[in-house]
Amino acid sequence: MSDGEGATARSADEQRRIVRERYAAIATESSDGCCDGGADGADDADQCCSSSVDEQSREMGYDDADVDAVADGANLGLGCGNPTAIAALEPGQTVLDLGSGAGFDCFLAANAVGPTGHVVGVDMTPEMVEKARENARRNDTDAVEFRLGEIEHLPVADGTVDVVISNCVVNLSPDKQQVFAEAFRALKPGGRVAISDVVQTAPSPEDVTENPAALAACVSGAATFADLEAMLDRAGFEAVSIEPKDESASFIREWDDERDLSEYLVSSVVEARKPR
Amino acid sequence: MKESLMDILCCPLDKQDLELEVVRRDDDEILDGRLVCTECGEEYPIEEGIPNLLPPDMREETPA
Repeated sequence: MSDGEGATARSADEQRRIVRERYAAIATESSDGCCDGGADGADDADQCCSSSVDEQSREMGYDDADVDAVADGANLGLGCGNPTAIAALEPGQTVLDLGSGAGFDCFLAANAVGPTGHVVGVDMTPEMVEKARENARRNDTDAVEFRLGEIEHLPVADGTVDVVISNCVVNLSPDKQQVFAEAFRALKPGGRVAISDVVQTAPSPEDVTENPAALAACVSGAATFADLEAMLDRAGFEAVSIEPKDESASFIREWDDERDLSEYLVSSVVEARKPR
Repeated sequence: MKESLMDILCCPLDKQDLELEVVRRDDDEILDGRLVCTECGEEYPIEEGIPNLLPPDMREETPA
């Protein structure tokens, strides 16, 4: 599948490695306070100071109650929207989070589905899953489970999930078609995806697409609206809707010191339904 | 890992059911053990409560 998979000849394995390394570093840094500057640049350090994370989260669409509902440490400010807000979750539902990171959206989802619901977070970075598990203890929640897994090869049985959520992760995948096919398989008939992700609005300059850091930072891997729609369609989804959030420019602009990435990217709400 | 979630787990490769082998558990959950695919026989470790369901080629490069 070649749609929207970026202009470089980077192999899928290489792409996964780059992404894993970056998120492993973030998980490790943020566990021991990272405001003194991260290992790979000041911009990461900015992202994980608790106060600035809370502020960014409000810009992304979380309200104060969301931020306060989860113990510190789960929200690393790495998303680009609030999938739990668009997901309209109901008590008793089973929710699957693709690329669950430190678990923030999973804990919000757990509050929404209640004790009779289940939330499963899948992430391919061991350091993130460990961190999420620690956070689960601090949040005293039984409804959330984290596991190591790859979103292109979900360890989730067919037709078991009501809602698939994901926050700024699908763009990182070297095989987005496969991600949507797997989400479709795991969903119950009538189940939905409610994803927040960046979409490419203009081709990014060559020096950006060739820079591995830009891939891992959710910049160069983003697909276009047309590609995303075609992939969801091909996976079998109906009622596909991809809604750009123009206000996301305010935080996307902060992602890079040198250039304004909002010229190439917009955060969007991606919704679709598996036919009944 | 909680046993109640076995229902929605499957082998990431062939999507078949997994069988649980418990090595260590506490009141709430399984801390160490294995998940074995009933079809292909692939084994997935559970370590410190975290099931590692990465496909085998990715698991090998996972740091301990």
